[in-house]
Amino acid sequence: MSADRIIFEDVSKFYGEVLGVNRVDLSIPPGITTLVGPNGSGKTTLMNLMTGLVRPNRGRVQVLGLCPEDSERLFRLLGYCTQYDSFPRHLTGYEFLCFYLRLHGTSHGAADRLVWQALERLGMTEAAHRRVAAYSKGMRQRIKLAQAICHQPQVLVLDEPLNGLDPMARAEMIALFRELASAGRHLVISSHILHEVDKISDQVVMLTSGYVVAEGQIQAVRSEMHQEYPMQILVRCDKPALLAARVFEQDHVVEVKMHKDRRGLLVSTRSGDQFYELLERLVLEGALTVESVAPADEDVYSVYEYLIGSEGGGAA
Amino acid sequence: MAVYKRTYQPYSGTLTPAWSRFLIIARQAHRRVFDSRFLTFFFVVCFVCPAVGAVFVYLRHNAGAIALLNIDVARMFPIDGRFFFRFMGWQGSLAFLLTAFVGPGLISTDLRNNALPLYFCRPFSRAEYVLGKMSVLAILQSLITWVPGLLLFAFHAYLEGGAWLRENLFIASGLFLGSWIWIVTLCLLALALSAWVKWKVLAGALLFGVFFVAAGFGQAANAVMHSRSGNLINLGELIRTVWAGLFRVDADTGVSPGAAWMVLIGVCALCLYLLDRKVRAYEVVRS
Repeated sequence: MSADRIIFEDVSKFYGEVLGVNRVDLSIPPGITTLVGPNGSGKTTLMNLMTGLVRPNRGRVQVLGLCPEDSERLFRLLGYCTQYDSFPRHLTGYEFLCFYLRLHGTSHGAADRLVWQALERLGMTEAAHRRVAAYSKGMRQRIKLAQAICHQPQVLVLDEPLNGLDPMARAEMIALFRELASAGRHLVISSHILHEVDKISDQVVMLTSGYVVAEGQIQAVRSEMHQEYPMQILVRCDKPALLAARVFEQDHVVEVKMHKDRRGLLVSTRSGDQFYELLERLVLEGALTVESVAPADEDVYSVYEYLIGSEGGGAA
Repeated sequence: MAVYKRTYQPYSGTLTPAWSRFLIIARQAHRRVFDSRFLTFFFVVCFVCPAVGAVFVYLRHNAGAIALLNIDVARMFPIDGRFFFRFMGWQGSLAFLLTAFVGPGLISTDLRNNALPLYFCRPFSRAEYVLGKMSVLAILQSLITWVPGLLLFAFHAYLEGGAWLRENLFIASGLFLGSWIWIVTLCLLALALSAWVKWKVLAGALLFGVFFVAAGFGQAANAVMHSRSGNLINLGELIRTVWAGLFRVDADTGVSPGAAWMVLIGVCALCLYLLDRKVRAYEVVRS
């Protein structure tokens, strides 16, 4: 099983007296995993740990069964895209990719082929022979991603890859992430843009102050929090008053708010399953007609707000 | 979680030997160096002295030219340890200038741009990175120090005969060893300063400072203490002392060869320590 996962076992990392991450246990399967947390929460440290760029003070990290210290084998499998625009200004996009690919040990001919494949995939072929210094922000993000994927790795670690991109470029990038993940790769992405995290993630890891506060599929994380943070469900129907009267009879319902237009309710409940059963019964009895039902806080943004709250000022 | 089927094909082509990958850095950097007209011109100028030396050697063995010029070239320009000691002094100075032009930007630019993770997220270690950056300078310095020196030595030995070669083999080893001591010292100093201050201009200024300001202090110390122990902080005098031992000449620096070796080794060790502290992949995490 560990040969298919990225595993952190009781991992701690301190930079002198500054905490990077503490007692992290994670098992990351293939697909898109997003690291979410405010600045300084330990996202980049986790990424640096799995890429072997920093060593843990305690615990063990394994990437698909490999120890990150085994750089010769690890970096055949792993591509890393840092958050910084760290380009040699005098190089063209093609030269930039070729240079780092040659450091991988790829021969000149193979490097040329792989670089053009990556440029084509990222839609950068026309800009290949322009200097990187003249690229727009979106092009720089894409060329950074190209250097991470051009050696065809199985694991991609991408630090803030959506930063600074316009909505169109973000959509293209997200589509590319999906395509890469759909081929069975691991994509570990850090992001501040929570509504997009929701769209792309198969699972999330939430961090604050170096600690993992939640991990897994966002719905599963949310359902584990029902006692402390009752689930909010938005119902639009023809008889909201009737529904309100019926739900108030239930023990699991904490609060009910009527919409201003009196055509809907916002129900807070500690048991979503019981609420949905009740609603289904009412509909089958013909007591009311439901227009729409949707969880109001079963997204990354809400979970982030509950768990991390005001610490995450940088989140969008 | 979505169900993903593994369909991608990882790269399975041949790889270059791991030991040779550091040379990729040198190749890239040399292209940049020779993009500069000034550096290209300076590099060409560095071969004037070896060319002049070769002319002297040729004249010494050309009876027709000697008769034509009516001068005793053999007496005016004896080809011996002192000739090559002077050759090393001149070429060594040029190697220093070349280092001052090229060296300061080698690591500082990467550190300022946070580019080190880009290097180290490959099968490429910190030692290979430093070796790659050193090779940028060492290859250029070699081409203007021991390579032309040994060619000159071989040219003279060819014209002079086997007996001279056997008697003066110490000059060949002096050229090679002396050049490499200087090359390693200059490379480590330039890279350590580049990594330490992270600013190309300041690193260049510091490199000049280490040589000339320290030499000035050394002279002042000599004057105050009426001794020559101040030369212990003058890197130029220290390397001359070491070269003098290798070429079997008297440099009259007032520093013992043992002390000169110790100080140079100390300087190199300090530079390695600085490089070990500064050349690291991770970004600074602030509390």
